[in-house]
Amino acid sequence: MELIVSFDPEVMEITARTLRIAGTSCLLASLISLPLGSLVHFRRFRGKRVLVNIIQTLFSVPTVVIGLLVFVLLSRTGPLGDLDILFTPAAMVIGQMILITPILLGLTISALSGVGKEVVETATSLGASGFQLALLSLKEARYAVVAALILGFGRAISELGIAMMVGGNIRGFTRVMTTAISLATTKGELELALALGMLLLLLALVINIALNRLQQR
Amino acid sequence: MKQISIKTKVIALAVIAIVVIAGVTMMGRPPALKVATTSSLYDTGLWEYLEPKFEDKYGTKLHIFYAGTGIALEYGKRGDVDAVVIHDKPREEQFVAEGYGVERVPFAYNYFLIVGPSGDRAGIKGLCAEDAFSKLMETGSGDFVCRGDDSGTHAKEKAIWQAAGFGYEAVQQAGAWYIETGRTMGPTLLMANEKNAYTLTDNGTFLAYRSDLDLVPIVETGAVLLNVYSVIAINPERHPETNVEMANDLVYFLISPEIQGLIGNYGVAEYGVPLFMPCAGQEPEE
Amino acid sequence: MRPSSPLIEVARLSHSYGDKEILKGLDLGIARGEVFALIGPTGAGKTTLLRIMDLLEIPSSGEIYFDGQRVPRSGKQRLAIRRRMSFIHQKPQVFNASVYDNVACGLNWRGEARNKIVAKVDCILETVGLEGYKNRNARTLSGGEAQRVALARSLVLQPEVLLLDEPTANLDPVSATKIEELLSTAARQRNTTMIMATHDMSQGQQLADRIGVLLDGRLVQTGNAGDIFRSPQSTEVAHFVGVENIIGGIVIANDEGVATISVGDDHHGIGIQAVSGCPAGQQVYACIRPEDVTLTPMLYQSSARNSFQARVTRVTYLGPLSRVEMDCGFRLIGLVTRISAEELNLQAGHELYATFKATAVHLMERKSRQ
Repeated sequence: MELIVSFDPEVMEITARTLRIAGTSCLLASLISLPLGSLVHFRRFRGKRVLVNIIQTLFSVPTVVIGLLVFVLLSRTGPLGDLDILFTPAAMVIGQMILITPILLGLTISALSGVGKEVVETATSLGASGFQLALLSLKEARYAVVAALILGFGRAISELGIAMMVGGNIRGFTRVMTTAISLATTKGELELALALGMLLLLLALVINIALNRLQQR
Repeated sequence: MKQISIKTKVIALAVIAIVVIAGVTMMGRPPALKVATTSSLYDTGLWEYLEPKFEDKYGTKLHIFYAGTGIALEYGKRGDVDAVVIHDKPREEQFVAEGYGVERVPFAYNYFLIVGPSGDRAGIKGLCAEDAFSKLMETGSGDFVCRGDDSGTHAKEKAIWQAAGFGYEAVQQAGAWYIETGRTMGPTLLMANEKNAYTLTDNGTFLAYRSDLDLVPIVETGAVLLNVYSVIAINPERHPETNVEMANDLVYFLISPEIQGLIGNYGVAEYGVPLFMPCAGQEPEE
Repeated sequence: MRPSSPLIEVARLSHSYGDKEILKGLDLGIARGEVFALIGPTGAGKTTLLRIMDLLEIPSSGEIYFDGQRVPRSGKQRLAIRRRMSFIHQKPQVFNASVYDNVACGLNWRGEARNKIVAKVDCILETVGLEGYKNRNARTLSGGEAQRVALARSLVLQPEVLLLDEPTANLDPVSATKIEELLSTAARQRNTTMIMATHDMSQGQQLADRIGVLLDGRLVQTGNAGDIFRSPQSTEVAHFVGVENIIGGIVIANDEGVATISVGDDHHGIGIQAVSGCPAGQQVYACIRPEDVTLTPMLYQSSARNSFQARVTRVTYLGPLSRVEMDCGFRLIGLVTRISAEELNLQAGHELYATFKATAVHLMERKSRQ
């Protein structure tokens, strides 16, 4: 069974696609979240606490709801129907970004809150501009930031609702590990489903180790 | 020692962003025919069998996604697919009548089965489907697991209750023996197996799951159990963006003698019996 | 009061945290190249003043002038001005990065060329004696080493103004001495303007050109070390700078610059002589530093005009010194070395003579508010 999983070209292809899609959404979401999170953390404005509460509430949005939302947006008759990207990896990336951006944003803000006030003031005294200050704080909080990235990536590769709803589980195009597992289950291929599930966990493990290595440098 | 200036870092970030955006753009769609199909048809593996043949013949990609009949029809109504392949005659006819589909073209059929524990606790073996359901309803002596997901199979089940003379709401409230899962066919079969219950299933999924099940066919004949699969191209007048030519290619492909022959033999090698009977665009005789 | 336009100046500066008033209308100007020590007890507002000068905080009211320009309350100009200064906080906060990266960060942020940064960092690390620590993570350093990293990180910027908040408060004496040496070298070689908050009197005395005493949010006295330590202008300052003998009395005569002050409960009998222009009839405090009091077993004839028979009431040991409380009709405190204390066989009840010079007595006008 393990051999089938390890060498089957279709499984390999699904795995690569899963990584590519989840990696892209994670990267794009962090490109949004890290600067935005820094902005929210360092700026003083009214309603900040409320905003943070809203962001944290969005951690719990079910994937299937996001899937539905993106579906309605991208559907031919929806507002973004002209883009013609429903049932493509791009649509899945959009959905996963919506899923994990609040998580990365919220965790970035809390990671930055963990950086001591004294560190921030020392940097300010040494002449850091707002941007430089944010960069330094993210570096200081790198353990928490990497943990956030790991969580975001984990959520992206493990979600099913969005991949199914806006990807469509098209063989050779939008089929990812979770939808493949779901399909194997409906087809009664329970061993294959379990093997794929284990492969998914294995991938997560490898990526965690890699990212942890990175942060320990 | 890292001594990278901020400028370098900004440039690096910009490069990453460009690569990512390019990557996403490449994740867009190549030209392909989009077909939403009922899960029971997909789960038998028939589509995986036919897909490369269609792609070779017409030189175009075929993107198939499986869904319940309900959501497949919804995709069709929204113009998100070019064709639907499902098995619920009344709703298909309504779909065409409302102008969403061009024409309903039946291309294969088989029979639904009532499966249950080999002991047949309720003693419904040998009855016709309607009588079997009546007996379950009246005695309550056997559990029944229902899809409850508005799929084609679920629609068929409701039609049988109707034919047996029961309102569906009365059935739903009949007692603890009637279990609605809200899941697809495979999981529903597994649950029926665990509970030693009866359920209505399509032939293909049952065969695919048979090795994991102790359930056996109890009722397998009768006009009411007839299960017809049809292909419907989406009406280009409704959704001009859909690819009606390719959809028509698919219709002709499915009813072509060569493919009809393949459908008629599909599953023989694995299960010893064919999973589908071809019907080449004609409504099968009941 | 603007002698040759100061480099950094605060005017009518007040600041509050909530209801708590920390600074109460300060005026202070510091000239280029000056080393200024800000002394005062904990909670007097020293840190707050430094923070406001470093533009980390916006004062509740009042203005800051830097190099003749008024500092705006917001905007990019603040960053530009802040980059001409550097502030070493009381507890050194090193970043979780290598020593090199810590020291280089300020230069990086100023967009300095990389090869220049490398050279400057190497040079400053050598100056502070951390040349072998370049690649160590700064979080793994000891307190003294971390403080030297903090110092290097500031000095490498060659700031025009260096602000220091208790630079040696958390250090052992050896490390503290090392830091003090580095600071005075920097001040001399680069003509860096320094403003340092300290409660360590001797540090202020050693390093500073001028000292300001901050008490309860007010700058009560500024002057050179001699002025502050010898001639405090109020009892609070006197107390704070270690003048332990503050004796209330009245000038009964002034004979050619030598005043005679009557002290003690009954205001007659005991007279202290002081070199002062204070006229007769003036209510005064006589301030005598305890180390200016000498103790002898017998009465010697000397140039000192004040000698009193005293009875020891209490002796406490302060490291190498002994603090002797005496009753000579008024309460007097003297400071002698441990060895003298042993030779004199000092103990409570012992009788001896206490002597101090008329020049050691500083007279402070006593406001007649009783």
